[in-house]
Amino acid sequence: MTTDLNHILIFKTNIRTKTQKRKLLGMLSTHSGIQQCSVDLSDIDRVLRIVSACLTHQQIISILQQQGFDCAELV
Amino acid sequence: MRTRNSGKEQLVKQKAIELLVRDGFEGFSMNKLARACDISVATLYIYYKDKDDLIIRIALEEAERMTQIVLKDFNPEMDFEEGLRLQWKNRSDYMLKNPGTSALFEQLRFSTFSEPVFKQVKANFGNAMGKFMKNAVSRGEINAMPMEVYWSVAFAPLYNLIRFHQEGKNMAGKPFVLTRKLIWQTFDLTIKGIKK
Repeated sequence: MTTDLNHILIFKTNIRTKTQKRKLLGMLSTHSGIQQCSVDLSDIDRVLRIVSACLTHQQIISILQQQGFDCAELV
Repeated sequence: MRTRNSGKEQLVKQKAIELLVRDGFEGFSMNKLARACDISVATLYIYYKDKDDLIIRIALEEAERMTQIVLKDFNPEMDFEEGLRLQWKNRSDYMLKNPGTSALFEQLRFSTFSEPVFKQVKANFGNAMGKFMKNAVSRGEINAMPMEVYWSVAFAPLYNLIRFHQEGKNMAGKPFVLTRKLIWQTFDLTIKGIKK
């Protein structure tokens, strides 16, 4: 099944380490509104990619901020 | 509303191969690729999860395309000389028209990405090529020999000519350009050496 491109949300973050990435993805993957999530630590923008049919950019930003990370929509 | 733009996806693939060959896997970044394609980094991440996902998917797509070209009109039941001639034609056509991709596959061979990519290449080629060799042995056209010996005689001469061509020089550093005439001259010698 191909992903609806409109359900893909892209963010710039300050996730730095593999441990931070693992913990965050562990938490996000249990969220019922998130179908897929990944973080690219090799990129300068530490890009967080979320596939969700129902969540907004702002809702994801709030979740990240609650976990102590900076997060902004990457445009 | 976002929609797929196949022209943009094609440009991303082409530029990614160019940058990967030029800068290697370490020097390659999604930011550099986005700049080269004049698109935003976010757009790249719409299509690919991360750098590794991009490299593997582009390599797998190319491996699939290469297989289709190399196996075009080929059938493992073919007469040995006719089949090998077709293989030389298809392989040289692909490599000469896609120098970037050939260089990318060489880089992949020694990288952490080699396993998934070459597993696919092996699955695509292994059957047809293995059968072709076995048929030639059972028909008495060639002697039985280890696969490595077979490959080194049947294909390595062509790959070496193409390497000289892509480097633009021969083993002594003199300028070299590969022609069809040279390919078929080498092929005739190869056939003489391998056929009973």
